[in-house]
This record gives sequence, C-alpha cells and structure tokens, in this order.
Amino acid sequence: MALLTRRQCLAGLAAAGLAARAGTARAAPARIVCLEWTSAEMVVSLGATPIAVGDIRGYHDWVEGPALPQTTIDLGSRGEPNLELLGELRPDLIVGAYGYGLDESSFTGLAPTFNVPFYSGKAAPYAQAQEVTLQLGDLLGRGGEAHDLVERIEASIAQARATIEQKPRKPLCVVSMFDDRHVRVYGAGSLLQDVLDRLGLVNAWTGATSGWGFSTVGIEELVAVGDAQLISLDPIPQHVRIRIARSSLWANLPCVRNGEVRSIPPVWPFGGLAAAGRFATFVAGMS
Amino acid sequence: MIASALPLTRPGSGLWMLVLLVAVPAGLALVLTTIDLMHLLPRALWWPAIKAPDTSDPAQLLYRYAFLPRVAVSLLAGAALGLAGVIMQHVLRNPLAEPTTIGTNAGASLALAAATLYAPWLLESGREAIALAGGALATAAVFALARGRSFSPVSIIIAGLIVSLTFGSASALLMALNREYTEELFIWQSGSLVQNGDAAAVSLAPWLLAGICAAFLLWRPLRLLDLSDDGATALGARPVLIRLAGMGVAVALSAMVVAETGVIGFVALAAPALASLAGARTLGRRMIWSPLVGAALLWLTDRLVQHLPFATEVPAGTATAMLGAPLLLFLLPLLRVGPEGQADVISSARPSATGRRLIAGLVLLILAGVVAIGFGRGVAGWHWIWSADLTQLLALRGPRVTVALSAGVLLAIAGTLMQRMTGNPMAAPEVLGISGGASFGVLALLFISAGFDRTAMLGASLVGALLALAIVVVVASRNALSPQRLLLAGVAVATVASALAALLLASGDPRMDFLLAWLSGSTYRATSADAVTAATVAAIVLALAPLTARWLDILPLGETAARGLGLRLGQVRAVLLALTALATATATLVIGPLSFVGLMAPHLARMLGLRRAVPQLLGSAIAGGLILVAADWAGRTLIFPWQVPAGLIAAFVGGPYFMMLMWKGRQ
Repeated sequence: MALLTRRQCLAGLAAAGLAARAGTARAAPARIVCLEWTSAEMVVSLGATPIAVGDIRGYHDWVEGPALPQTTIDLGSRGEPNLELLGELRPDLIVGAYGYGLDESSFTGLAPTFNVPFYSGKAAPYAQAQEVTLQLGDLLGRGGEAHDLVERIEASIAQARATIEQKPRKPLCVVSMFDDRHVRVYGAGSLLQDVLDRLGLVNAWTGATSGWGFSTVGIEELVAVGDAQLISLDPIPQHVRIRIARSSLWANLPCVRNGEVRSIPPVWPFGGLAAAGRFATFVAGMS
Repeated sequence: MIASALPLTRPGSGLWMLVLLVAVPAGLALVLTTIDLMHLLPRALWWPAIKAPDTSDPAQLLYRYAFLPRVAVSLLAGAALGLAGVIMQHVLRNPLAEPTTIGTNAGASLALAAATLYAPWLLESGREAIALAGGALATAAVFALARGRSFSPVSIIIAGLIVSLTFGSASALLMALNREYTEELFIWQSGSLVQNGDAAAVSLAPWLLAGICAAFLLWRPLRLLDLSDDGATALGARPVLIRLAGMGVAVALSAMVVAETGVIGFVALAAPALASLAGARTLGRRMIWSPLVGAALLWLTDRLVQHLPFATEVPAGTATAMLGAPLLLFLLPLLRVGPEGQADVISSARPSATGRRLIAGLVLLILAGVVAIGFGRGVAGWHWIWSADLTQLLALRGPRVTVALSAGVLLAIAGTLMQRMTGNPMAAPEVLGISGGASFGVLALLFISAGFDRTAMLGASLVGALLALAIVVVVASRNALSPQRLLLAGVAVATVASALAALLLASGDPRMDFLLAWLSGSTYRATSADAVTAATVAAIVLALAPLTARWLDILPLGETAARGLGLRLGQVRAVLLALTALATATATLVIGPLSFVGLMAPHLARMLGLRRAVPQLLGSAIAGGLILVAADWAGRTLIFPWQVPAGLIAAFVGGPYFMMLMWKGRQ
C-alpha cells in the first residue's frame, strides 16, 4: 500500500510541476545532449532522441538498453565530454549526472542544464530515479511518457515479483567480476538493492558498502553469503571467466558448488528506471 | 662512487640486532595470524584441514584456499622482493634501486594493460609471461640507455625514471581511453594479496628457490662489484656480465611478484636498508637477512591491513608504501649519501648565440600559442577559429592554453632551480614531494568524503603541498638542506601519494574519472580564474628567479666552492626552495601532479647551449611552456572528440625523445 501512496504522491508532485510550467508555455528542448550513460538511459527511455552522448561504445557494452539511435554523436569520454563539440552542436539542454567528477559549472555557459542528482546519499536510488524521471519528463514536454515509464517499470517489477513468488527463491548476491580474485558486490544504498526489495528477494550481501552502494571485495568474502544464488552482471572478460574457473576457492564456494551461479545481460548499476526494469526482468527470467 | 654501495654505517651492532629485526615483526605477525586463525577454525582442525579439508565447511574452505595461501604468498613475495632489492641495490650501487625505480614495474604494468585490452587470450593461462616480458623489456631499455656510461648509478636511475614515466604514461593513456575495461588493472596495480587458491604460492615458490640458488652462485662475482670496475677487471672479472646476471635474477624475481600479486612498493627498498642498518654490512649477510626481513615485514603488513575498518579492501601494496615511506623518512638522517658528482647525462651543444636561440624559442612558442588557440577540430573536421564561433571557442580554449603555458613555465623553472640547487640531473618538482603532497591532499579528501567539491579540493591540495614541504624540510634540514636528502624525502612523500591514488582507483569509486584526468595532467577543468592565478604566479616567478642567478651559477660547483665564495647555504636553499614550492604548488593546483616537464625542460635548455643560470632559466621556461601548449593542443585534437590529458602526451612523446638523446649521447 505504501507503494501506491508514494506513486500517487509523485504523480501529484509532477502534476503540480506541469501546472506551474504550463503558464510559461516554454517550448520543449529538441536538441538534447547527454554527458554520461545514466542521463542518456533516462532520456532515451522517455522516447526522446539525444543528439550526442558521452562514450557510446561503453554505453553499448555496459548499459545496453534502451538502445541509442544510430545517428547519435560520440561526445568523447564521460570524464571529459568534449566542450568544443558540445558548443558546436548548439544544444537546447544538457543532461548529466555530476557526482562522479564533472563540474556542472563547465556546462552552464553552453546551454541550460539538467542535473540528474543520483547517489547524493539523500534518498533511495529507485525513488530518486522515479522523481528525476518525472522532473525530466516534465522538462522535455514528455510528462505523459514519464508517468507511463514510472508505471511501466512498476508494472514490470510487479510482474517479475509475481513470477518469482511462484517458487521459493534463495537469497541473491549480485556481483560484477573484474578479475579472478575480486568482485564488486552490490548492497545497501544501490539501485539493485532497491529492486531486490521490491521483488521480495533477500540480498545475501549484508556487508558494508561505499556511498555508491557497492564494495570491492576478495572472492573469499563470498563465503559469507553461504548458499545464495550468485548473479554476475555481464560483461565478464573471457580470460577472467577462464581463470576464475580454475580457482580452487571459487570452485568450492557454496553457491558455485551448488550450481547457483547465473550471468545476466548488462545492467548499469548506477542507472535509472530502465536499468531497474531490466534487472527485475532478468532476475525473474533466471532458472 | 664506491661509497654509495654501502650507504649505512652504524658501529657496534651485532647479530642480535638482525635477529630482532626479523623476530619482532615476524612475532607480531605470528600472534595476529594465530588470533585470526582461532576465530576462523577450531585448533583441532588446523592440521587435518591442510591435508584434506572438508570444503563443505566454509571455515575450512577459507582456511585452506584463502587464509593459508595468503600467508604463504605474503612470505614468499616479501622474501623475493627482499632478495631482488639487495641485488639491485648492490649491482646499481644505489640505495634507491628497487623494481619501481628502475622501470621493471612500469614495464610489467604496460605489458599487462596492453594484453588486457588487445590480447586478453594471452592472459588465460596467467600473467607471468606477460609481466616478465614487459618488466624485462623495460629494464633492458634502462640498461641499454645507461650502457655507454658503464651503468653508472646516476645514469641508471635517470634512465629508470625516464623509462618508468614513459611506460607509465602509455599505460595511463590506455586506461584513460578504456576506462570501464581496465578495472582489473586498477585492482592489480594496488598490490592485493587476496588469494583464490594455491596457484600463486605454487608458482612463486620455485621462482624464489631458483632465485636463491642463483644469488648463491652469483655471490662471489657480485662482491667484486664493490671494487671499482677497473679493479674488478684487473682481477679477471667482467663487471658488465656480472651486472647483467645479477639484474636478470632480480628482475625475474620482481616480475614474478608483480605478476602474482601486483605492485608491492617499498619492500624491496626497505628490507635491504633495514638489514644494513641493523648491521648486515657484507653483501653475503645482506643477501641472507633482507629476504627474511622482507618476508616478516610483508607478512605483518598484510595481517595488519585486514584489521582496518574500511568497507573496501586495503591492498597490502598500498599499505607497504604507506608504512615504508615514513620509515624511509625516519632512516634518512642515518643514511650517508655518497657524493653523486656532476653527471652530465645529455651531451650539449657548444654555448653560442644565446640570445638568438632564446628569440627563436620565443617565436616558436608564440606560433604554438596561435595554433593552439586558433586551429582545431569540429563536427565538419579541421578548421580555423575565425570560421567558427569565435567568442565561444575563445572562452573554451583560452583558459586551457593559458593554464598549459603557465604550468609549463612554472614547472620548468621549478625543475631548473631544483637541478641547479641539488646538482642532480634527475631532480624534478615531483621529486621534492610537493606534487606528491598536493595530490595526497586531494586523494585524502576524496577518501574521507563522498562528495565532490572543487573549492575544497583546491584547499586540500594546497594544505597537502605545504605539509609535504614542511615534512621534507624538517627531515632534510639536519644537514643544511642537503640536496640528496631532500630528494630522498621527496621520493618518500610522492610514493605515499601514488599508493593512496592506487587504492582509490582500485576501489572503483565512480569519481575516479576525475582523479585519473587530474593525475595525468589534464587542462579540461581549467577555469578563467585558474588561468589568471597561474599566469600571475608564472609572471612573478619568472621575474624573481633571475634574481637568484648568482647563487644558481655557484651552487652546481659544489658545497665547498659555494661556501668558499661566501654563500650562506641554509638561507640560499631556503629561498630557492620557497620559490620552487610556490611554482610547483600552483602548477599542481591548476593542472595536476605531472613532473616530466620540470625534468625535461632544463635539459632541453642546456642542450641548446644555455648553460648559465639566467639563459637556462629563460630557455627552460620557453621549452616548458612550448611542451605543454603543444601537448594540450595535440590532446584536444588528435582523437577528437575524445581527449588525452596534456601531461600524458608530454610524457609519452617527451620520454622517447629523451631516451633517444640519452642513446645518442651515450658514447
């Protein structure tokens, strides 16, 4: 019930926002530039087409969906999106998340900016993703699409939950694998944790996490998750896959011995609603 | 030159000091290990679980495949590094020689980075071969460069520095362009001893054994290196061959450690130093004791880091650097550094037509500035600025070019001052520890806070720079700011900073994109305020530096001459140090802790025949500005719309150029 109330509350907020903006009757920005992947994912999910996105190859490999249009221009690295190119593209709106090292003031001189304030430590990432999606939809003149998106993701999470509830599930442990001795494990404060909560699943990793909701730990720490189901996010480099299979510690981890290791397609752990929806669907689809 | 082979002298310490040196850390480590074990597994199972562990019991699984291998690897790696360090320091007659200072680690890193990105199938069977090939190649390059000078200690260290900087910037370049694909490398670089089975221990053990056998066989020939090369030759030895054999063993040992665990700094430096200090005065004794010291130290360190209260693992490599650097600072007063002499690494042109050369340089600099501001790339390809949006591009490029120019000038002057003051051609602002201190401040801020605030960052950077300077000056001041001690203290501070950087990079913190860019000297975030600050300070320093010309002309003649000519060394050095600190701190604040420019620019000026203080200062300033302006322009345009930090380009292009000069000038 709490869920419904929050949704109504958000809808109400967004409606208020819409009403306030309607008075100014500003044209929706058409030339949108996204500095990094989280904002790109949100803009594309709302049905808008960004003209340029930072590090497109990386987006394909680590975010995967929703797909960027073929015509999207590469802005350069996410750490240093090319300002000269950005200026030349004459955007109406620059969307970006700044918490990882960009400074919003670098961009304010070029076009209006919209900050995707993720992982500020103030709110749970999923609720924040909903809120930011509604704000962004409002700004892009796509308030309706934003509402639809929020509802659609809620619905697919609910559907995933229904699938999951059909048979009992073990606790889950979600990791990214980077080498054969360490994993990045997602826990409290992460978007994935929020989705697990909504799916009625237990996160087997209860250890400490950084402000971004993950921790890089040695694989021996995975003993602590016991007989959980281990979910690893793609992509995993082939040589890491091969070498980790040779590790006697890995081979004897309870989850590995019980055959409880699953790979799922890429989910951007610092993403927005689309990432949350992808994660829920993939988890529900696992055997 | 013979003096530096035996740098540590303390009378009257016997065997018991050495025993204590090993027994105290080993005893502590044993206590910690036992306590950890008692928490992990009932004592009755300790023995049976080695032979036949019941892997369905998590405690036994951890004990057998994580806990024991980790203890074993820490001991093996520590011993291997201790042995490698002794041999390197003996062969190179240099108490600072270790795998990091002579290029081995940088070579292994670059090879692994390239393999991870472009030929990952090479890594399927392990990293050993790749690391060994890269480490050996880099060390061979260092030797080739230093060969013409009969491997003189100074030329080896300089060649090692150049090769490390070049290889290091190539790795950084690969990593910066493939940010999300190199997480494995960041973890590996931080030197983690986490184990996932017996593999690392099993492959390290035979190498260590082979290394010990080889060291035993080489013991007699190596001792001959205590003599001068002529003396050794007279006795029928071939010093070059002995050196090559010794280095072969040391490089193989350190490359294996690097392959199995990553970069573990300072053990190879600290273990032999401590052993000498405790009384192991002969080579034979040092070869026996420093592997033991290294093993005990790494074992203890690795136990200690596991009790630290951080969410993210603190790798042993980071910790050894953190612990080792203060140790080095503590040791400095006891260290007798032999006179290094005026090693003129680079052959220089005849001094002539100073004025004409300076003017030609200035013209070149102005041309470079015009191109850097005016010529660039856009959606439709290359174009001049007046065919595009002039005001917008000026606003974007102006601060970047100004910051690059000012930082280049500042670092070049700082480098010239350092090199003239210390009489050491490898002196650079980074070596003074100021860049290291500045980055330490920023890193510490990032480590303790989750936020990202540029103002706070600038403050932290300044505080770090001043603190580092204070530490270095206090440590070095016992001998009227003796140049060699200053250098060593600076190296220690810089190493702590880079260890902290490695830790943060390995933690996968998303803010690391920024950190990477800043560490590699990017002008991307330059604001007009930065540009004004940097330009103002550059102008002030440029005006003040020539006032010290008389000192700078006298100081390279040596302390005795300087005193004889009436210089008050303490005061003179304090003034020069303050000037250097101002220049370096400002440059570090606006562009990052890059050092290659400060090293290279004074050499370029000297090569052009600008040998007296004022012409060298001016020539070096022009060269420094030119290098960074050109590097920044290339970084902005070459792989447009992607960008390469100016500092990386400067090192990546300047390094090979420098190597070529050394190669040509080697006869």
